[in-house]
Amino acid sequence: MISRVRYMVRELWASLSRNPTLTVAAVITSTVSLFLFGMTLLIQRAFDNQLRTWSGGVEMIVYVKHGAAPNEVELIRSTLEAQATVIENISYCDEACTTSEAEVLFAADPDALTQLLPEMPSMFKLTPVDKDSGDALSALKEMVGKLPNVIDVATPDEQVAALSELKSFFSPRLLVMALVLLFASALLIWNTIRTAMYARRREIEVMKLVGATNWFIRLPFMLEGLLQGVAGGLLGSGFLLYMNEDWLSGMEALDGEVGIKSMVVTDGYPGWVCLAIILLGAFVGAVGSGTAASRFLDV
Amino acid sequence: MIRLDNVTKTYSTEVTALKGASFDVAKAEFVFLVGPSGSGKSTLLRLMNRQERPERGSVWVAGRNINEMPDSKVPHLRRNIGNIFQDYKLLANKTVFENVAFALEVIGRPRHVIRQQVPAVLDLVGLGGKQDRFPHQLSGGEQQRVSIARAFVNRPLILLADEPTGNLDPATGEGIMRLLDRINKTGTTVVMATHDQRIVNMMRKRVIQLDRGVIVRDQARGVYE
Repeated sequence: MISRVRYMVRELWASLSRNPTLTVAAVITSTVSLFLFGMTLLIQRAFDNQLRTWSGGVEMIVYVKHGAAPNEVELIRSTLEAQATVIENISYCDEACTTSEAEVLFAADPDALTQLLPEMPSMFKLTPVDKDSGDALSALKEMVGKLPNVIDVATPDEQVAALSELKSFFSPRLLVMALVLLFASALLIWNTIRTAMYARRREIEVMKLVGATNWFIRLPFMLEGLLQGVAGGLLGSGFLLYMNEDWLSGMEALDGEVGIKSMVVTDGYPGWVCLAIILLGAFVGAVGSGTAASRFLDV
Repeated sequence: MIRLDNVTKTYSTEVTALKGASFDVAKAEFVFLVGPSGSGKSTLLRLMNRQERPERGSVWVAGRNINEMPDSKVPHLRRNIGNIFQDYKLLANKTVFENVAFALEVIGRPRHVIRQQVPAVLDLVGLGGKQDRFPHQLSGGEQQRVSIARAFVNRPLILLADEPTGNLDPATGEGIMRLLDRINKTGTTVVMATHDQRIVNMMRKRVIQLDRGVIVRDQARGVYE
């Protein structure tokens, strides 16, 4: 077992050092593609964070005064429920729930969050039966605004609509681009392994003739591809974390009134994305090299 | 040890390498395959270690029909068959020791076994003391001895030699034949394809002659005609 491991490591090193330029090219391509793939996920998440309040078809938010008593909240709910012809769905987000949403929304604006926390309202999110029924929604907004303990009634503005448009434009296109690049990096790893195998075809021929199994021959090459993929994933992760931090600093430095300050990702999500792209790199590398090794084993 | 039963091998509709070849080779027998280029000698050797499969007929090695053997078992078959080539097929970037050790390493033999067996086989082929040299530092005859050592280090049941003296001068070729004869006397079956009339006549072993894929002569203690 030890001798096999020693053999694998030695062969792996020999193969890597024999094709340094191809190895570097494969690592760079996988770095770029995995970075882009990770960035697609982060951009998606940033849009989701910005649009978090208005997700799920919500067209109206009724803010309820901080510290309102349960019976006062119930009064508002029952009034809203009586509008069944206009409102399809009502969901209540209490003060704890609103606080957690605010922590995401104001992640890049901690001062504003600090000011808000002591007076954090609760809210009702309303999904209308027909979001295009402008008159009915306006009448509803006016009526609800007069209820006791209601401090504000918000509807999505043009900025939210523009961001939703941007999200639906960018997300699929970036994903397609990342997938195409991922395929390109798999092809490049495949080609690197094929070249490595061609360079060592005599050794492989001898190995086959003396009775080495295909798996024994294939494994160092698969390890090589896997390493290239993992290296791409690690480098891509590094760039991704750097970019995310850079973007966060930029958002924090923006004027508090600018409405895209919630387009940041601050929780543990970037870490998970990094783990995902490292694993994806390992998978792409192993599959690319494994298919190349199987395809060119008959030398 | 080896049995071919009505074996036919074609490479295309126009090229038939072997037609209905049948013969048996006993354990510890030494057999020459002779005939002009393209007569099917190398194809026969390639059929015996499952580098090729016949269209018709069967090839039996050590009691097993190797045509019906699953691919996963072929490496284990090949561990019992040593191969020697006209061009030696040595790895230029490895020393004599490493070239021979490679054959044991890739089948997972432990290090202490390799350290023990490689010097012993190098002594057997007359290369003791040259284990740290690279192939380009050796003569043709010495390179062929390394190739024989690599083929024999695992103590295979069968040695298949394809023109092993083809690149060597007559005196060196004779030395190689003496070595193969010694190996044969240890109980290893040797099947050797050759054009070398002088060597066949000198050894007086069984001769199987091929002509355009057909066995035209099978003679015990034969000569090259």
